[in-house]
Amino acid sequence: MRGALSFEHVSMCFRMHREKVNTLKEAVLGAFRHLKEPDELWALRGVSFQVQRGESVGLIGHNGSGKSTLLKIAAGVLKPTEGVATVDGRVSPMIELAAGFDPDLTGRDNIFLNGALMGYSRKEMAKKYERIVEFSELGELIDMPVKNYSSGMYARLGFAIAADVEPEILIIDEVLAVGDERFQAKCMDRIREIRVSGCTIFYVSHGMGSVAELCSRVLVMHHGQLVFDGAPEPAIARYRELQGFTPHSALAGNA
Amino acid sequence: MTALTRPVAELYRFRELLSLLIGRDLKVRYKRSALGMLWTLLNPLLQMVVYTLVFSTIMRMGVPGYPVFLLSGLLPWTLIAVSTTSSAFSLLNNQGLIRKVAVPQAIYPLAVVGSKLVDLLFSLLPLALIALLVGRTPSLSWLFVIPAVVLATAFTTGLSLVFSSLTVFFRDMRHLIDILFQVWFYLTPVLYPASYLEKLPYPWVRRALELNPAAPIIRCFQVAIYEGRFPAPATVAAASVWAGLSLGLGFAAFQRVQDRHIHYF
Repeated sequence: MRGALSFEHVSMCFRMHREKVNTLKEAVLGAFRHLKEPDELWALRGVSFQVQRGESVGLIGHNGSGKSTLLKIAAGVLKPTEGVATVDGRVSPMIELAAGFDPDLTGRDNIFLNGALMGYSRKEMAKKYERIVEFSELGELIDMPVKNYSSGMYARLGFAIAADVEPEILIIDEVLAVGDERFQAKCMDRIREIRVSGCTIFYVSHGMGSVAELCSRVLVMHHGQLVFDGAPEPAIARYRELQGFTPHSALAGNA
Repeated sequence: MTALTRPVAELYRFRELLSLLIGRDLKVRYKRSALGMLWTLLNPLLQMVVYTLVFSTIMRMGVPGYPVFLLSGLLPWTLIAVSTTSSAFSLLNNQGLIRKVAVPQAIYPLAVVGSKLVDLLFSLLPLALIALLVGRTPSLSWLFVIPAVVLATAFTTGLSLVFSSLTVFFRDMRHLIDILFQVWFYLTPVLYPASYLEKLPYPWVRRALELNPAAPIIRCFQVAIYEGRFPAPATVAAASVWAGLSLGLGFAAFQRVQDRHIHYF
């Protein structure tokens, strides 16, 4: 089914060369140094889970717990070292807003460039164009090179594009930290709409409130391992327990 | 075979991205320059003036219609050399995108080749004009420029894929590649006719130089444009073999290692 996602014993290992061999000289001179094992960093170890179409899944964990690595594998950017990750459907990685922007091009050109990066044709993007511009609230500034945009304007355009490309799987990674409060609320509304439309959502945030509100299921990552997979409240409790931290204000479940 | 057809189908799916990236390159390159796209036409002309001055006036090479001879070889050489040397940075320059969006990585070096190909096609215009002025009116043999461009592009694409990937693993490539292409340029009959090499006293040097993969491709252009006839079947066959080998091996090698690039940025 389009929009489904499955991880089977996925592990991801980064080889950390203390001195990165990036030049020929180092490769030749360091030929023997090579015999020494490079430091291995396992960002993910044996992660398995299935996501059905239309589920909204939260992903929480401490910094460096492997959330971003997991998302990059889901987006197809990284190939797992071990295990199999199957992703069925078009993924819109809202991993970092405006990752695909070219500062020298206008907002208009960037909309088409971003669409093409996600595999959409010019024609398909032309249909969405008006809506994207309207949502971004950029008005006539859309014909200005994006390097002149403020960071808020950048983020607004990025969100407007990612939210309008009708992906089967939408990845939202800490994107709502930008933009003013009103725009954040507008983004949350849009995410809720996307959710209702049957799109699979991966939501990463350190804001437990929004995780509990948006997600029907939460995965907790801890040092590269999946330690909990279930309903939001117990997931958040487990996460806080692992952190050894209980904020007083957040005790009464804020779903 | 499916190992290669799938990546080709993937690339085809992103063909609009390719044309957008080529357009972006051209747009950004000519922004804020008074002459804009005219530079694409002026650049080979200025080069031609310099080389003609040196090799036909000072060094007296004795090649009739030297400007046409020179340009007919220099334009395809520029496609090969400039595409490959600029492609070497294409993956590094786009690493921000490669880390975030899953797009076939071959797109980035291909976009460089595409934009240089546009340059080549535009430059054929002043070349035809100069040919007319020098009294070498373009004839039917110019038709062979079309397959020659296809061969040169295939050859260039293979090289560009290989060097873009190599530069990710070994950053020295950026310095090595400039020297490599400079040496290669002088060993390839672009400034001087191919017949000069046949007069070389050492047979083993001649035989070694005959293996120059760029030579038959450049020769196709020179014969069709400068000599006004269709190239010999042997030349076309050699050019096709090198072009096919470069594209096939380059693409296959790129597919094999592309997943590892991200760990070396």
